[in-house]
Amino acid sequence: MLWRFFAAKGVQYALVLLFAVTLNFALPRMMPGSPLVFLAGEDVGFMTEAQRAQLYSAFGLDRPVWRQYAIYLGNLARGDLGHSFQQGRPVVEIILSRLRWTVLLVGISLLLATLIGIAWGTAAAWRRGRPLDLASLGGAMLLESTPSFWLAMIFIAVFAAGRGWFPVFGAMTPGAGLSGPAWIFDVAWHLVLPLATLTLVTIPGMFLIMRYSLLTVLGEQYISTARSKGVAERRIMFRHAMRNALLPVSTVFMLNLGYIVSGATVIETVFSYPGLGRLLFEAVLARDYPVLQGTFFIVTVSVILANIAADLVYPLIDPRVRHAR
Amino acid sequence: MSLLIYLVVVSLLLPPANAQSSTVRLALTRDEGWLNPYTYQSGYPGWNIMTLVYDPLFYPDLNNEPIPWLVRDTRVSTDGRTWTLTLRPNIRWHDGRPLTSEDVKFTFEYAAKVTHSRWTPTTRNLDGVDAPNPQTVIFRLKQPDAGFRLRTLADVPILPKHVWEPVTTVAAARAFRNTVGSGPFRVEEVQDGQFYRLSANPQYFAGPVKVREVVLPIIRDATVSFTALQAGQIDANARTLSPELVAQFEKAAGIKVVRGAGFASTILQFNVEHPLLKDARLRRAIAGAINTTLMVRLLMLGYAVVGSPGYLHPDSPFYAQGLKFEGSKAKSVALLNEAGYLDRNRDGIREAQDGTPLQFTLLTLAGNPVRIRGAELIRTALKDVGIGVNIRVAEDAAIIDQVWPEFDVCKGRRFDMAVFGWSAPVMSRPTALVDLFHSNCQIGAINIGGYKNPQLDRLGEQLVVTVDPASQKQLAAEMQKIVAQDLPIHVLFYPDTIMAYRQSAYGRWAFQKGQGYVTKLSFVDPPK
Repeated sequence: MLWRFFAAKGVQYALVLLFAVTLNFALPRMMPGSPLVFLAGEDVGFMTEAQRAQLYSAFGLDRPVWRQYAIYLGNLARGDLGHSFQQGRPVVEIILSRLRWTVLLVGISLLLATLIGIAWGTAAAWRRGRPLDLASLGGAMLLESTPSFWLAMIFIAVFAAGRGWFPVFGAMTPGAGLSGPAWIFDVAWHLVLPLATLTLVTIPGMFLIMRYSLLTVLGEQYISTARSKGVAERRIMFRHAMRNALLPVSTVFMLNLGYIVSGATVIETVFSYPGLGRLLFEAVLARDYPVLQGTFFIVTVSVILANIAADLVYPLIDPRVRHAR
Repeated sequence: MSLLIYLVVVSLLLPPANAQSSTVRLALTRDEGWLNPYTYQSGYPGWNIMTLVYDPLFYPDLNNEPIPWLVRDTRVSTDGRTWTLTLRPNIRWHDGRPLTSEDVKFTFEYAAKVTHSRWTPTTRNLDGVDAPNPQTVIFRLKQPDAGFRLRTLADVPILPKHVWEPVTTVAAARAFRNTVGSGPFRVEEVQDGQFYRLSANPQYFAGPVKVREVVLPIIRDATVSFTALQAGQIDANARTLSPELVAQFEKAAGIKVVRGAGFASTILQFNVEHPLLKDARLRRAIAGAINTTLMVRLLMLGYAVVGSPGYLHPDSPFYAQGLKFEGSKAKSVALLNEAGYLDRNRDGIREAQDGTPLQFTLLTLAGNPVRIRGAELIRTALKDVGIGVNIRVAEDAAIIDQVWPEFDVCKGRRFDMAVFGWSAPVMSRPTALVDLFHSNCQIGAINIGGYKNPQLDRLGEQLVVTVDPASQKQLAAEMQKIVAQDLPIHVLFYPDTIMAYRQSAYGRWAFQKGQGYVTKLSFVDPPK
């Protein structure tokens, strides 16, 4: 029966992928505006009709849309994401060079935010209604509604420009030519502020889910039973309640895992961090169709992969799903 | 011993880049490709940075006058159609091969074949380029060209033939990574989205390069780029300082602020083909209601020059002396009443004779807060004289799509009015008046309002083939007077060019009038 389950899932994911890939092709082209200026430079106004035509044909933009779509699908099947309009480089190369920075920043931040969110949420739920819980709830709400660019600016003003503890921008010291431990230290040093900002704005979501989920579980009858049996509070919390309460958090974590590669546009832009989020944003402004398609494709694939992973992992952590099947 | 440990610890804690005093860190606004002539992106500072690696035959000096660079001697035939240039001796490419007239000939033939928006149009008037011997190059023009020295000779970078010959298509040229040039710097390192590192060319023909290494970090956010300057993490910034930061930076220790006229413009662009806005009286009334002096004070804190109605900046050598726009709300009201634009239904908005209300959409770019606030001031001012304005703000490509579809004036326009602007190079050439206002969409390539005036067309056609500067000035002055009369655009102001740098890191920046200090002349003296 298991193979049938996976076959059905496989077909489902293939359809989702095809749909997403089509959307990735169509959406950039539906935006008003032309990529011409990024293909040819700022003086496009001075080009003749023939010169424009030469450019359009060189980049395949003169073909009918369905032809462009067919070529795009064909290239995609061969793993060719094309060349960036703006930079002229292969899209695969650009994405790979940005991917590591984004995974470093967003991946670590997601891990940290999840762990802190779980711990904080548990502490708050345990002290429900007490000052600690109320203060935590207020603090989380405040943090949740703080715009990330504003927080980033404050951090830059205080810790980078003011105290001089951290660099203002970038992922490493430009032109320093470091290697080995010095390079690792340099990268870590540049990572602190963007990572702190991104983690801080991600924590509240995790905190709220964890707290709410734990409170729901704590209201269940089996918890009352355990209490009436005289099981210790600490044991109830960690053995009975928390294990169940972690399910929604792990779902959110899994889903976020897929979105890691979409980067953190705002924070990457403010800190001039060379991640995929900033790349995506710049590609939108430049109508850089190949980069847009390529980045969306990577995001699509990783979201689907994260879903598959969630499908596989969930039965392991939730026996009910296992039995229902 | 403890001193030694202390020194080691301190040297580890110091950011490594500070140790090299001969490195200058100049922040760029965006990625500029591989920094060769077919991959750099922006007109400013991209072109300026690219010309640190490549040399054109001439180069604009600090007053935007083209001076001979690769060239030692220039002879122009009496009919202005044959230019014979002699190259300086002993110029070499970064790979050691000699730069000869064959490379020059190749460059212009290449530009004609492999389309680039800036180089290719300069070849349109070329009948041919000859290289009779390695030092001599002869340009044959179809007709005399007023802008040949500045727009062609001082603009098109010379490519090494032996490197570019195999790169034959646009797509290949756009993806080509080679950066062998003849310029004062070589490209050493390109980190996608992060920075460039250039090192001085020790064999540069024009003499010693003043900096050993130039690092160009890309900083996307304007505020962050100036914070980095203040914190000492960069030494200079290709961006101009925004007015509200000027006072603070002038007081900051170690930072020097340089300021001068700016040749970029902020304009109110009319769609002259609009059924109502085609009436020059209405345009005049709209312009008159806007207090540009107030705008300069409120939006630019005084760091701008009030617009001249003939487009050209008062500091431009081609400015028509004494040209000044006179207007006031009272005059506008009188003008509107006289032209029959009255508020017949008393809703606060005037109507044309046929009952169409004077209600317009004003477009502006989302990325430019000063222009958005300018649009707000315009709306308030026009409301006072009975003209309604809706402001629509969108990102650049979406606005361009309406104002200047596909960057092709021949494709028409779909807007009423826009707060727009042109970059500095448009101001430094007299022929810009032709580009801006000629009615033929092939000639008036940036006449985005669709303005037409046969008299101006004739003067413009004369100007482009005039080589004598005095006659150029006279023709340009006459054209500006016509433009000031018809007002196809209303020039609001010219923001000053204000730039800052860290004196201690590097203090030999050269300030190019109207443009700023990102010029080759900041790093090397003109060849003697």
